[in-house]
Amino acid sequence: MRSATRVLLSTFLLAAAAASAGDMKLEAHLVWGTNDEKGGPNCKPVDAELAAKLHGMLKWKNYFEITNQTASIPLNKTQDLKMSDHCTIRIKNLGGSRVEISCIGEGKPVDQRVETLTPPKWLVWGGDSKHDTAWFVGLRSDDAKAGDANTVISKN
Amino acid sequence: MKNELELKVQAWLDGELPDHEARRMGEWIARDSEAAALAAELGCVKKAMFRHETAVALGESREFYWSKIQRQIQREAGVRRSRGLPWYARLRKYMLPLTGMAALACMLLMAVVRSGSPAFDEISSTGEGMEAVTFHDQSAQMTVVWLQDNSPAKVDQAAQKSIRYEDEPGTVIDLQ
Repeated sequence: MRSATRVLLSTFLLAAAAASAGDMKLEAHLVWGTNDEKGGPNCKPVDAELAAKLHGMLKWKNYFEITNQTASIPLNKTQDLKMSDHCTIRIKNLGGSRVEISCIGEGKPVDQRVETLTPPKWLVWGGDSKHDTAWFVGLRSDDAKAGDANTVISKN
Repeated sequence: MKNELELKVQAWLDGELPDHEARRMGEWIARDSEAAALAAELGCVKKAMFRHETAVALGESREFYWSKIQRQIQREAGVRRSRGLPWYARLRKYMLPLTGMAALACMLLMAVVRSGSPAFDEISSTGEGMEAVTFHDQSAQMTVVWLQDNSPAKVDQAAQKSIRYEDEPGTVIDLQ
């Protein structure tokens, strides 16, 4: 009887721990918006889902991806994602799909906010660039694709 | 005669009544012929039983003898109780309320976790010299934060003019 109770309690505690704590997987895309038909040599077509959302809300004809990064951030830990020489995203996993995110431009914090990022929600920062173009950083939770618990940072 | 009175006559005969009650019963039996007849009959039975009953001598005190019987009854009752239900039935007896409590606790936990997760941003701050304009598009599940300089020269080129919004479903209005 005692062992059965222990098993039950352990299961409950594990379920509670899994529900409230855990790594958060995120993906970030640095995107360039332009009316030109072609992007630069390092550009590639942007993620189709993100492109559709950007086309629906913004005026530019084409969106090209410059970099993308993914990260798995443990609970209450902070991680920097360097999107370019000028732009870094700092993310802290607050648990329960909540993140504290900072957009850092040229080494200075430009914008900071606490957001709940549940798939398929996107958070996009944007700003003007030269020659009627714009830059964007799109961020979303990648929990639906979560497979392993290792910390991963990949750069294209 | 009532059964209760018959029992009282028997108790009077056996000397089990208190003194004052025994005295009243004695007076009543002396007056009542039916009660007297019953008392006489019961007295005969009592004498006959005393005469023919086999005397049993105990090798130990009366209290010790009965305490052994009591202990044996208690031991057998315990064994019968534990043998009465199979192990899974006894387990289920405890597991059912525990499982219910665990399920309730899980539901409460999930409710707390969900209630602590609002859909949109809770706190935001923008760096000095910058302005942030936030657009939520619930249908597209996207939030756009447009960052721009506060300087007057930049205001003319404000990118918010480049952002369209949906006034009604299916109607896209360009603010430019």
